Formats: sequence, C-alpha cells, structure tokens
Amino acid sequence: MIRAVMVINTTGKPRFSKFYDFQPVEKQQEIMRRIYAVLCSRPESVCNFIEAESISGPDTRFVYKHYATLYFVFLFDSSENELTMLDLIQVFAETLEKCFKNVCELDLVFNYSKMHTILDEIIFGGQVLETNSSEVMKAVEEISKLETASSALSLVHKSVSGWRSR
Amino acid sequence: MLYIYMLGYDVDFGHMEAVSLISAPKYPEKQVGYIVTSCLLNENHDFLRLAINAVRNDIIGRNETFQCLALTLVGNIGGRDFAESLALDVQKLLISSSCRPLVRKKAALCLLRLFRKNPDVVNVDGWSDRMAQLLDERDLGVLTSSMSLLVALVSNDHDSYWSCLPKCVKILERLARNQDVPQEYTYYGIPSPWLQVKTMRALQYFPTIEDPNTRRSLFEVLQRILMGTDVVKNVNKNNASHAVLFEALALVMHLDAEKEMMSQCVALLGKFIAVREPNIRYLGLENMSRMLMVTDVLDIIKRHQAQIITSLKDPDISIRRRALDLLYGMCDVSNAKDIVEELLQYLSTADFAMREELALKAAILAEKFAPDLSWYVDVILQLIDKAGDFVSDDIWFRVVQFVTNNEDLQPYAAVKAREYLDKPAIHETVVKVSAYILGEYSHLLARRPGCSPKEIFSIIHEKLPTVSTSTIAILLSTYAKILMHTQPPDLELQNQIWAIFSKYEGCIDVEIQQRAVEYFALSRKGAALSDILAEMPKFPERQSALIKKAEDTEADAAEQSAIKLRAQQQTSNALVVTDQRPANGTPPVTQLSLVKMPSMSNVDHNPAEQGVSQANGTLSVVDPQPSRPSDDNIGDLLVPLAIEGPPGSATLSGHSPVFGFGGAPNAEDALAIAPVEEQINTVQPIGNIAERFHALCLKDSGVLYEDPYIQIGIKAEWRVHQGRLVLFLGNKNTAPLVSVQALILPPSHLKMELSLVPETIPPRAQVQCPLEVVNLRPSRDVAVLDFSYKFGTNVVNVKLRLPAILNKFFQPITVSAEEFFPQWRSLSGPPLKLQEVVRGVRSMSLVEMANLFNSFRLMVCPGLDPNTNNLIASTTFYSESTRAMLCLVRIETDPADRTQLRMTVASGDPTLTFELKEFIKEQLISIPTASRAPSPVSLQAQPAEPPQPLPTSSPAALSDPGAMLAGLL
Repeated sequence: MIRAVMVINTTGKPRFSKFYDFQPVEKQQEIMRRIYAVLCSRPESVCNFIEAESISGPDTRFVYKHYATLYFVFLFDSSENELTMLDLIQVFAETLEKCFKNVCELDLVFNYSKMHTILDEIIFGGQVLETNSSEVMKAVEEISKLETASSALSLVHKSVSGWRSR
Repeated sequence: MLYIYMLGYDVDFGHMEAVSLISAPKYPEKQVGYIVTSCLLNENHDFLRLAINAVRNDIIGRNETFQCLALTLVGNIGGRDFAESLALDVQKLLISSSCRPLVRKKAALCLLRLFRKNPDVVNVDGWSDRMAQLLDERDLGVLTSSMSLLVALVSNDHDSYWSCLPKCVKILERLARNQDVPQEYTYYGIPSPWLQVKTMRALQYFPTIEDPNTRRSLFEVLQRILMGTDVVKNVNKNNASHAVLFEALALVMHLDAEKEMMSQCVALLGKFIAVREPNIRYLGLENMSRMLMVTDVLDIIKRHQAQIITSLKDPDISIRRRALDLLYGMCDVSNAKDIVEELLQYLSTADFAMREELALKAAILAEKFAPDLSWYVDVILQLIDKAGDFVSDDIWFRVVQFVTNNEDLQPYAAVKAREYLDKPAIHETVVKVSAYILGEYSHLLARRPGCSPKEIFSIIHEKLPTVSTSTIAILLSTYAKILMHTQPPDLELQNQIWAIFSKYEGCIDVEIQQRAVEYFALSRKGAALSDILAEMPKFPERQSALIKKAEDTEADAAEQSAIKLRAQQQTSNALVVTDQRPANGTPPVTQLSLVKMPSMSNVDHNPAEQGVSQANGTLSVVDPQPSRPSDDNIGDLLVPLAIEGPPGSATLSGHSPVFGFGGAPNAEDALAIAPVEEQINTVQPIGNIAERFHALCLKDSGVLYEDPYIQIGIKAEWRVHQGRLVLFLGNKNTAPLVSVQALILPPSHLKMELSLVPETIPPRAQVQCPLEVVNLRPSRDVAVLDFSYKFGTNVVNVKLRLPAILNKFFQPITVSAEEFFPQWRSLSGPPLKLQEVVRGVRSMSLVEMANLFNSFRLMVCPGLDPNTNNLIASTTFYSESTRAMLCLVRIETDPADRTQLRMTVASGDPTLTFELKEFIKEQLISIPTASRAPSPVSLQAQPAEPPQPLPTSSPAALSDPGAMLAGLL
C-alpha cells in the first residue's frame, strides 16, 4: 500500500503531506527531512526509485518526480509496482494541472483543502482509487459546486471560513 | 490549522470543533470537519468515538457526496471502532446496484482498509461469490478498486477465491488483447496499466493455475505483453508499458513457466539493463536478482555479467546497489574469481556509503567460492588493505581462523603478511592481521631472506607508534611469540623486546599493561614460554557468522531467499567466525594457571578451560590471549564440553548433549558432531529429560522421554561388550504421528545399529525399535538419539542422550585381598594408575557412597582397606579393544571434610583408567540422583553451585609431581 504522499519544494519546505498510516508529528517531519536530504543530493537523469528502509522502516521505498520547484514523493511498500507509482504521480500532477490551470507552488499553498479533495479522489486509504484524471476532475468539480452552492446559502461560522480560506 | 500541522507543529486545539462539524448539515462545514478529522486524529483518539454516529448516519444516508466523505474518513482512519460499527454498512454499499460507481469504488477500498487493519472484525466469509460478481463489473474504476480488495483477500486466503481466477484472466485478456477499454481510461495509449498490474498481482497470489485452458490463455496474454513492449520516446508511455511488462515478468516467474519463456524473459531483462533510461535499468537489475531464485536461468543470466559489472559504475547509487546485489546473488564457483576481483577493483573507487556492504559481500563470496585457499587469503588481505575502515572485525578474525586451520596456508599467509608490512602506508587492520599471522607463523619463513626474526620484529615495530591501543596489545603478543620462536635465542633481540615490555608495564591501558608484565615474566622463564605460546589449536567448523550478518543486513525478501538458497547449495567450506565477543574480563593468568604454572596463584577457574583440560586428557596448552577472537572461539566450543563434565544440567541448558572428545584419538570426528544446534521446541516435554537420563544410567529400563504426544521407553540388556536396547515409541494420541525419524549419533567408541523406524506411528500404538550396541573402546562419550516427528503442524525435534554409558559395560566382580594387592601394586603409577583429589563432592555418608558405586556396577569390597574411611571397589570392563579388563578403585575420604576425597583408579589400560576416573568424578560431583533437580542455571554460574567448584582438574594433578608420587601408594 501507499504509506504517504508528500510534496516538498526544492528548498526543503514541505508543501503538502498526507500519511496513510499514523505517524507522530515528529516522525513525519523527520521522514520528510531525510527524504529531502536524499533527494537534493541526487542529480538529474538518475532513476526515480530509492529504497527507504533507513528512513522509514523496513520494506519501504519511495518514488519521486521532480516538477519545476516541487518534488512529488510517494512512499510505499513492496506490494505496489514502482512504475505504476511513478505513473500515479504523473496522474496526480496532471489533475492538479487541469484543476488549477498551470499549477505552481503557490496554488498548492492557497488551495490546501482542494489538494486534499483531489488526492482523496485518487488515493484512498493507501490504495489507488481512480486513475483517470478526467473522472477525478468530475468528482472534484461536483464537490466544489456543492461547496459554493451551500456556502452561498448559509452563514458559515467565522472560524470555519477562516480555515477554508487556507 | 492543517497547514500548521503539516509544518510540524503539534496541533492540540480545535479537535472537538472539527468533530462536531462532521454532523453539521451543510456540505462545506461537513467537508472541513471530515478533512481535519482524518488528518489530525489517529485511530485511537478518543474524539473519534464521538464522530462514529455522525459518520454512520452519513453512510446510510441518501446523499451520495456525504457518503463519499464519510467513506473517505473511515478509509483513511480505519480504526477498530469504525470497523466494528460500520463494516456491514460499507459492505452493503459495495454490492448495492443503486449507487453510483463513485460511491461503490470508495466502498470497496474502504472495506479493504478496514479488513487490513482489523481482519478479525470484518467478516469476509462467503465473499468469494460476491467478489466474482464484482469482477464482472464494466466500470473500470470500480474494477480497479475491487481488484485491490481481491488482492488483499486472496493474499490472506487463496483457497476460497478460486472462482475469481478465471475472471482475472478474462479481465487481462480484455485489457491487453482486445483493448476493450473506454477512451478516458487509456493512459498514453496503454489500456489502464494500473488495473493490469493489479490483476497480475492478484494472480501471483494463487499458487498455480491448474485449469489448462485458463493457463493457456494467460500465457498467450503474457506472451503478447512480453513481445509487444518496446522502448519508446515518450517517458510516460514508457513507464506505463514497462510497469505492465515488469509485472508480467514477475507473474511469469511466479508461474514457473516453460524454459523457453523464461529465457525470453532473461533476454528481455538483459536488454533492459543496457538501456539508457535509469528507471528501467534499475528495475531490470532488481528483477534479475529475483529471477535468480528460479532455477535453470543462472547460465543465461551469466551471459550478461559484463553488462552488470558496468552497472556497478553507474552514477546512480540505487542502480549500483542493485547491481551489487545481483552480482552477489549470481556468484558461484565458476565466476567467483572474476566477480570478486571486479568488486575489489571497484572498492577503491566506490563511495563510502557502499563500502562496508561491498567489503562484506566480497569477503563472503571469496570465502564461499574460493577455488583455492591462498587466493582467499590474497583477496581478504587486499580487501582489508583497500577498504580499511569499512572492514568489520569479523572479516579479519575469519581470515586468521582460516590460516590457523590450514597448515599448508600458514607459510604463504606469513609471506603475504610480510609483503604488506613492507608497504609505506598501511591500514591499521592490516597491521593487526599481519602482526598476528607473523607472530604465529613467522618462524616458518625464517630461512628466507629478509625474514629473520630480527627483521620481522623491526618491521613490525616500526608500525607501533602509529597504531591504537588495541593493536598495541596484539603487537606485544607478537613480540613475545617472535621471541619464543627465536632458536637459538638472540640476546640483542631479547633485550630489545624486554625493553619494550618494561616500557609498557606502566601503560595506562590495563590490557596492554597486563600483557607486558606477563610476557616479561614469562619470557624470563624460558622453556615454559614455548608451551604457553604454542600455536593455536584448530577451530571447529561452523556456519560463517559473516553469512549470518549478511542475512541480517539484507531486508529485501527476494534477496534474502536467494542467499538462503545459496547457503543451502554450497555448504561453507570455511571455518568459524566469532560471534559477538563477550566482554572478556578473564585475565590471561587464569588460563595459564592450569598449565604448568603452579607458581602463579590463580584467581578463578574458567569453566570452559576446565572442560578442555578435562576432556583432552592431555596437557592442552592454550594461548593466553584473552582479547583475541580465537580464544573466544575455544571458549564457545568448549561451553558444551564443559556441560558434559557434570551432566546434571546438560540437557536443560538448551544445548543438546555433546560428546567430549576425551580419549578419542580423532578429536576431529568428535568436533564435527559437537556443535549441535540449539533446539526450539514448542512441545514441552513431560518430566525432566536429564533426570530421566540419570535414572536410566542406574537401571536398565524406564522412560527416556515423554511429551503430550509420545512416550519413548527404553529397555536394555547388556552382555560383556555388547548391548541390546529396545526403544518403545508409544503414540499417546488418537491421531497418527507422522514423519517419525530417529537418528543415532554414536560417539566414536560405540558401534550402534538402529533397526528401521516406521515413518508413521498409528494412533494409540506402540512401536519397538531394537538397537544393537557394541563397545569398541573405553570412553565416557554419550550417544545421542536425534528424534523428530510431526503432529499436526507441530514439528517436534528432541535430542536425547542414550543411556549407553561407560558403566553399562561393567561386570561387578568381587576380589579377595590376595588378588587385590598384587594387582594394585603391579599397576604402578600413571598412566595406568591415576590419582586425584576431588573437592566439592556431594556430602554423603560412606554407606551412601558405597550404594552409589554398587548401582554403577562398581562392586565395593568391604574389609580390604584397613582404614574404615576408605572404600575399595572393583569391576570388570568390557570393550572390543580392551577385552575384559579389571578396574580397581580406591577412595579415601576425610571424615572431617566430607566434600573432599582422594581417588585412585587403576586398570590395565591408560585410556580406561582416565575415563573411569573422570566418570566417577562426574558422578560424585554432580548429583546424579533423581530426587534433586539439576540446576538449570547458566554455565557460568554453574561452578559456583558446589561449595568449591571443580577446583583441581586432572591435568593439574597429572602434572603435579607431588600428586604423582602419592599415587604410588
């Protein structure tokens, strides 16, 4: 299964992370830091697979893909095929691209909940849910339609709207 | 808030608000509530209980988006509480036809997650039909999810899901052959690679495919995939197609296809490891290592050796590692030389992260497949020279052991070591090895130019200022040994070395100080030095700890099994390697004191040491170097021997009884059997095995072993040097015992023949197995019955000592005074007559002792000795080599101190005398009566048990002139 999905920028700041098996906060940070340390030491044009047993316990490896200023990292175990994971990163990135039209780092920062929604449509509890980016888009759009519809109708609690704006 | 959390701050506020938002009626509120909850809370969080009800309402509700949200939460958290309360509802959602695919696929995965987390809560019995139905689904999204679920279910229990197998093959056919897929599901022209991969994964969980039709069509599809894939320009398309391809390869391997297809696969892989795309190269190498587990392809893989070696120089460390693994796995006798040399060459350029692993692997390969031993020594020395810091101690310990055990190798190794020392800058480990080898064997080179003791000394001494303390200690020993080997003594050299010793007498490091002082004192004693510093004895055969270590470090499952496979195929031709050294606190003095050094008062007796002197029966001289690995090995080896001495606790301590190699002229034989592995038995024996054994030493029939399933009884008849034992194997159960195996491991002095043991013992039946014993020579060694059987899934294996021991070949005989005294006098002094003062004897009255002797068939003859505190016993011993042999025993006890006595044993055969003396001593010191439980304490603690533990061992008595004189009565 997929253990975690992370997006880290090239300076080492985590931009998005989701762990599918529970890890304490410190451990999550530790993993991200160490993965970043490995990633930034790797030149272009080497392979995208790294064994991560020293970082996150036995039987784990991760696949990464580098887009502009961001590293997309999937951490998973031996029950997944490496190349399909790589493809999944591609699907995830394509979906984001469709969703935000020319996605950039700032889009991710400001549309945090939307990122979660998209990812929830692709990966579910550590398993691949949907691999068709247009299908994902359909679901996401539906959700956002609902969102705007109901938020127009109702008075949202102050603190809640505060969260949403992030 | 989530953002704060992700940045690594502990968010401990707002949880309650988030949970309460879940039950809000409006979508955005709900959504925020769900997202926050699923990210922040883990499955054991208390607040989650509060949310369960709200979540459940959403799941059984009508609103599909709410359902989705709820399912997502459940899937992402998946705690036990959720599983208990929601699994049924989720199952219903999955099979209901009214929901949209979106919901159903989520339900499938949600169920999967719940099942993974709590397999005991989620009930999946009877799901096979439903799974089969689900696999008929047209919507690929749902199909993908269902396939994931199937993978989990099948991996858990493949038997119930046979019906799904043909369906999986159909799906594959539909995807790969007919390309019958909606447009949006093709990914760069490949029909849903994820589903293909998942399907093939699922197929791998089924052991084999029996139905020929299904099998044929599957192979057709696989063939198409294998042939149809080509490297193309587009990276993404490439990835997708190769993902499918590699999975197909894995499936082919799993199915163990025909050879033709296999070689096709290997050819493909060979192509991959040569392509430019690093990802594919990586996977090619990895899959090739996996391929190694499949038989018959090794030869084909070897053709790609050159290419793999090139990969070793790849810029990418992931690829280099894979290449290394693969090389390691594919190495065998034919290509070992090339590969190891390649590794050595690579070692000097490899980056630091890899060197240790590399060094270790090279060492193991060199050891396992060495065509000749001098090559092995060459390789290891080179390795140590090149890798230096990255060579673990194990590696050099091992080479030392190797050299010690092979005499032919010793001069060669010494020459090599000498050559290395000539180099201007060498690593400290090389200094250690060279110094050690030269110390032991430099005298073998003495005639060569530049190898006189003096020159060797000076060249080693040059290194002294640069090395660390642990190495100095080794160097000091080397000096002492050089000194010892210099014949005739060279005064100048002697003075030089003495100067060094006295310099280090004040060293701050205790180890060095102690060595310096001792060697100094010893070297003044002259002749004694050569005994103490004699060459190391050989090490016993054992599995290389290096290999064990490698197994530990390998976590890759595939790789691991490859190693194991290898390990089984090639039994290591090599010798021992130390296990982790225990803190070695025993000062060298202890060991010395046993051997001809009565002047040095001694501190505590090392039990292992006792064992060696006792068992060898001759003066065994042990090299007094506590910090060297080799000593530990002797210790290790002797631990089992030491138990052998007092047999009271032998079986309990986990080691199976082991034969001492006393008296046996071919100690090697005994050694080969000695390291019997420890057994872990799940079935607990009834009663104490050791006690039962001791009881049987005294009588001829009884129960040898009993556990809940089986009882082994024994009945014996003894006539002169022959015996006939009958083993009664009784099955106590209503089910048959299967795979019954009984193997006798006879010591060298017994000839034993066990009749055929049936493989199955029917319920409640008893089987008799006669066992013929012939005694060839006197010896105390014990035969072992290696007995195993299977009951249900339990495999029970026990090693039982057979009560065919020395005293069974005795015939009690009464001798009169007229017969006794001439005999007693005619056997004068060692080795025919031996005397020993035994301390730590169990306190017992003279009558008790006489009874004990009688029960061992040593007939006590009252009235022969004028002193009433003494006992005289006699018996006749029978063996093939000695025929009938009269044995006489005299025990002199001290009425004031019951714990010590003096024992004199005489017979016409030196071995018999010694064996009998040791035998009686064992009986007197340990407590052989069944009433008292043998101490299950650790070996180290054992000598502390009697008031004064085994203090005088036989060699000490032997070598003590006073004792010898006293022996002449």
